[in-house]
Amino acid sequence: MFVRRLFPLALALLLCAAASRVRPVSASDEGFQPISPEELKMTSEPQAPGAPAIILFHQVDRDDTRYREYNYFRIKILKEEGRKRADIEIPFIKGKGDVYNIKARTIRPDGSIANFDGKVYEKTVAKSRSLKYLAKTFTLPDIQVGSIIEYYFSRDWEEHYVYDSHWILSDDLFIKHAKFSLKPSTHFAVRWSWKDLPAGTSEPKNEDKFVRMEASNIPAFQTEDFMPPENELKARVDFVYTEDSLELDVDRFWKKHGKKLNEKVESFVGKRKAMEEAVAQIVAPDDPPEAKLHKIYARVQQLRNTSYEVSKTEQEAKRERPKEVKNVEDLWKQGYGDSVQLTWLFLALVRAANLEAYPVVVSARNEYFFNPKLMNTNQLDANVVLVKLNGKDIFCDPGAAFTPFGMLPWPETAVKGLRLDKDGGSWVTTTLPAGAESRIERKARLKLTEEGALEGKLTVTFTGLEALRRRRQQRNEDEASHKTFLEDQVRESVPAGIEVDLTNKPEWASSATALVAEYNLKVPGWASAAGRRAVIAVGLFGSAEKRIFENTTRIHPIYLDYPFEREDEVTIDLPLGWKVSSLPPPQKQDGHVVAYSLKAESDKGTLHLTRKLTVDFVEIDSKYYPALRNFFQVLKTQDEQQIVLQPADAAASN
Amino acid sequence: MNNKLSCNQLTQPRATELRKSVTWLVLILAAFAIELPVTAGDVSAPGWLHALANVALPAHDEKTDAVQLFSEQIVTVQSADKVRTLVREAYKILRPGGREHGYIVVGIDLHTKVISMRGWCIPAQGKDYEVKDKEAMEFSLLHVEGSELISDVRDKVLQIPASDPGNLIGYEYEVEVQPYILQDFWHFQETAPAREARYTLQLPPGWEYKATWLNYPAEQPASSGNNQWQWVVSDVKGIRHEDHMPPWRGIAGQMIVSFFPPGGAAANKGFSSWSEMGTWYSGLTAGRRDASPEIKQSVAALTASAPTTLDKMRAVARFVQQNIRYVAIELGIGGFQPHPAMDVFTHRYGDCKDKATLMSAMLHQFGVESYYVIINSRRGTVTGSTPAIANGFNHAILAIRLPDGLEDSSLTAVIKHPTLGRILFFDPTDELTPIGSLHGDLQSNFGLVVTPDGGSLVELPMLPPELNGIRRTGKMILEANGTLKGDIKEVRFGDRARAQRWELRAAAKDADRIKPIESILTGSFALFHITAASFANFDRTDLPFLYNYSLVAENYAKLAGNLLLVRPRIVGRKSSDLLETKEPRKYAVEFEGPSRDTDVFEIALPAGFELDDLPPPVSADYSFASYHSKTEADGRMLRYTRTFEVKELSVPLAKVEELKKLYRIIASDERNTAVLKPTSH
Repeated sequence: MFVRRLFPLALALLLCAAASRVRPVSASDEGFQPISPEELKMTSEPQAPGAPAIILFHQVDRDDTRYREYNYFRIKILKEEGRKRADIEIPFIKGKGDVYNIKARTIRPDGSIANFDGKVYEKTVAKSRSLKYLAKTFTLPDIQVGSIIEYYFSRDWEEHYVYDSHWILSDDLFIKHAKFSLKPSTHFAVRWSWKDLPAGTSEPKNEDKFVRMEASNIPAFQTEDFMPPENELKARVDFVYTEDSLELDVDRFWKKHGKKLNEKVESFVGKRKAMEEAVAQIVAPDDPPEAKLHKIYARVQQLRNTSYEVSKTEQEAKRERPKEVKNVEDLWKQGYGDSVQLTWLFLALVRAANLEAYPVVVSARNEYFFNPKLMNTNQLDANVVLVKLNGKDIFCDPGAAFTPFGMLPWPETAVKGLRLDKDGGSWVTTTLPAGAESRIERKARLKLTEEGALEGKLTVTFTGLEALRRRRQQRNEDEASHKTFLEDQVRESVPAGIEVDLTNKPEWASSATALVAEYNLKVPGWASAAGRRAVIAVGLFGSAEKRIFENTTRIHPIYLDYPFEREDEVTIDLPLGWKVSSLPPPQKQDGHVVAYSLKAESDKGTLHLTRKLTVDFVEIDSKYYPALRNFFQVLKTQDEQQIVLQPADAAASN
Repeated sequence: MNNKLSCNQLTQPRATELRKSVTWLVLILAAFAIELPVTAGDVSAPGWLHALANVALPAHDEKTDAVQLFSEQIVTVQSADKVRTLVREAYKILRPGGREHGYIVVGIDLHTKVISMRGWCIPAQGKDYEVKDKEAMEFSLLHVEGSELISDVRDKVLQIPASDPGNLIGYEYEVEVQPYILQDFWHFQETAPAREARYTLQLPPGWEYKATWLNYPAEQPASSGNNQWQWVVSDVKGIRHEDHMPPWRGIAGQMIVSFFPPGGAAANKGFSSWSEMGTWYSGLTAGRRDASPEIKQSVAALTASAPTTLDKMRAVARFVQQNIRYVAIELGIGGFQPHPAMDVFTHRYGDCKDKATLMSAMLHQFGVESYYVIINSRRGTVTGSTPAIANGFNHAILAIRLPDGLEDSSLTAVIKHPTLGRILFFDPTDELTPIGSLHGDLQSNFGLVVTPDGGSLVELPMLPPELNGIRRTGKMILEANGTLKGDIKEVRFGDRARAQRWELRAAAKDADRIKPIESILTGSFALFHITAASFANFDRTDLPFLYNYSLVAENYAKLAGNLLLVRPRIVGRKSSDLLETKEPRKYAVEFEGPSRDTDVFEIALPAGFELDDLPPPVSADYSFASYHSKTEADGRMLRYTRTFEVKELSVPLAKVEELKKLYRIIASDERNTAVLKPTSH
């Protein structure tokens, strides 16, 4: 099919990227460029304090008319840790291209130069009959703190091949200055776009058949927990070749593309009669529309979905010999398909049930955020169905295994999509489920032993995207693995060593119901000693939040996969004669997109603890990080609130 | 021969490396699946595999991923330069995790070539599958920090189709090796329980062998005459990974076979003792430590202002640690043989044996002799009872013969060698442990000290616990609203200092150097602000590493009615969930090294409150570790002191329950609370 949902993160693609094809540009080929006295003398970079090394200069020149690329690096070593930059490895695919004219040198802090005359090794990274993935590798000698490492090389690739080009400006080192150029192929139209260029950087300029750009003071890229996809954060320029004539108007571009896509989809789903026969086997004529929709959704999800199976070897695939699926009729007869096909089958069946439904192609947000202005059709990489029912828009993707009805897998939520029609379609935005729709609910009935242990039953219910995530993770595992997995989920949520045993067999196969796990639970030593008294913390399941947002500083926005909610209800029977001396007061924090409440009550020797955390955002700006961090710090403080108990002997003596 | 002496101490992978590497191959092969050609036509698995289709499975539990039904290793020694080995193995896949066995992985290098390679699957339903060597792929890892830059070692990998639960898979391959050493290894115990494993040895006429069993009762071979012998083991239990377990080779059953041509070792390739192996290595390194004029000049310059021999040793050690970058280039015998000292000096890079070589050459310039020590970076891989084997080692350090009269309290990694006298062990690859000391993994480890007349296996010293630890002191003030303020000082010694320096060294910018403190405090405080923080002696590895930080922790003490509850243990966690597992522990627990951590926290009580109740003192003493804590009232001060000492390097299985109990005692103490009440008037 023309829309690929599960981009295989195949090494093959990595290789294509690694061998990023570019072209050398003349003057630079001539040798090393002069070093300035300032570069020699420098011991630190004020804009990158503490950096182990910085890139003083980086140049990439690519010529798609001659299938070549030239790369130049000058790196200043500032700390011992930076010396590892002297180990260089340049991957390439033998037969598809070559790396040549490697020149390197070391400039010592005193300015003396040692040209590299050592061996450049050719290392086999991966080799099969049809493919040789190699790497040129070498290391520069005599690298000390203060040295400058400098090297350049050229690479070329097969003639008549043209690849999209990407200038990723952000590196894990600070870059003082960088220069890029691209001479595009004359056989295809190319468009380019850029984002987050460093302050003061002029946009790429197209002059004399070259696109050129220079940038300075590019900060080192840093990764952080809960950050948006790297692609979205790095300064970059992307070039996209197109076989079509170059369309510069964004609306016209997408209309044209939408029309083409719509024709393909309609050609695939346009088997009305066969679908009417099929839908008659699924729904009753007098079913209300909503019931019909549910039944069709459930039926499609029951079909074998090959996108979520263990990958097969060529021999196995060949032996299975699936027939070519040209349309939904073929698919229905075959009884299985991939995730994209199944979602289009759903569209056809829904329409056959006389419901209003549209194909939508969306851009999943797990790798990047879609921007229509970039006019990159490859980014519309997933398909969903928009059903209009009782005045409501319902987005469905039954081909995404284990997705509950009315929800989408998280990468497809809150994203722009092109709703297709014969005129090319229009933009829609998919829904984002509220935190309350993706819950982990923990209900425990426990008793406190005289020794301070908690013992009893626990039921954990996962709903919405929380259930989906776990079902997906475990989809190809067996019962023993399911059990370990679910027991580990409890272990990870309790901030103490526990004994836990899953006692039921949860429903893993269907998305129609919540994922419910029942356990026997023991938490040894939960009550701690305080002289004559004992104390217990109120937050039994707060471990997941315990180490969140450790650091005070933040660079990137805070980004979550989806909003969620956790709700705990814990009942604890105290040992006979034990009394509650004091309970912490109820707590409530409402930070708009995050909310937390905690209540501890006591009634006739029984404690009742309720805790609720709602996180209702996907992305927030880094300027709100201190407030968010503070929210979680306060939450942790509240979780640590303690209930003071008087054991029987102590109570009697009082 | 893919065992080499090249480990980077600070990034050496732990016990799970085998499994990880297989996982890596699974991912890579999945990515390349589209590239693989396909064997056409009907195929049938060989008779030996079909014969296993209905055999009884060896004992296993529900968590067993696969069982090995049969393995066979037929070793034919044709000459001192040619050994052929045919391997056959068959597995029944029981669980999804067993699919990993469907990847046949054969290590190859310049001297090991694969003659043939085939695999089959007999599915529970349907026709057999077959794959042949033309469908195999070769892999080596891209360079990652700490690994070799270039090596001839690669993996040849063949994926067997349908390696799914319920199916039977099998494979055979034959390799021809031009050995460096006339020794072979039969690793018959692995993760999967094994029904039957065979090892057949065919020697040329007149040759002899010596077989040694490790971690398994020795079996006697059946001889078929004609210089052929066969060993068989049955119903071998699988080994399942546990955190902090001993190294795999230290517990898995294996047989080591050394071959001897008529008239003794051929071309110095065979050895039956550590001494012979030492001779072999001594020959391999002959001349490598010769100093060039540049080395001599450098030593002179480095030691010019060093008044004593020890100062000279320190200067040279610092030079090799700091100026010789770790880079491993290992081709052919280069896995064992170091580069000449002059090359290492000129290039300013090398691997562990290269660094040892240069250091030795430099020491020699001022009359201090030193010797290679080849060793495994994981204690327990080679023990005092291990026979002489080359593939047990992956690292090289030095034994420095201390000149008579050279005494200094900083020289702790010292033993008295029967022939060399006092020797100091030093690891030049470990950039963060100063000369005189030794990091935990090498302590009580066994290494081969190579001397010109041979060598001997020697146990390295275990350092006293007080040389490794954290001494933390805090002076804090508690306010009536529960806020805790104050200053904490941490003094880190030994491996504790090394680990912290390593973490800080990896920081990409100055601002990140505060993160380790934030991480420590996050584990102990819910709501806190660091108001000041600094560290000292980062580069002075000969001194303790220091942290000083000041903090404010709001709501630290909890109000409960009119009481104030305060946890006297302010920072740090010594308890562990390591043994809080569902499965009973099967193997000993290994500690990194002996250590002694102490905490002293003083908390000034808030006005209007007085102590009402204190947690009880804790005193737990075991042979392997001890823990003592005490909370006392001292006027208006609450004082908490504790000491946690690890005294032994390993807790045997018989004592693991005691360790679990100890960890629970510590966890309980760490949660304990002191109660303050309003001051009575």
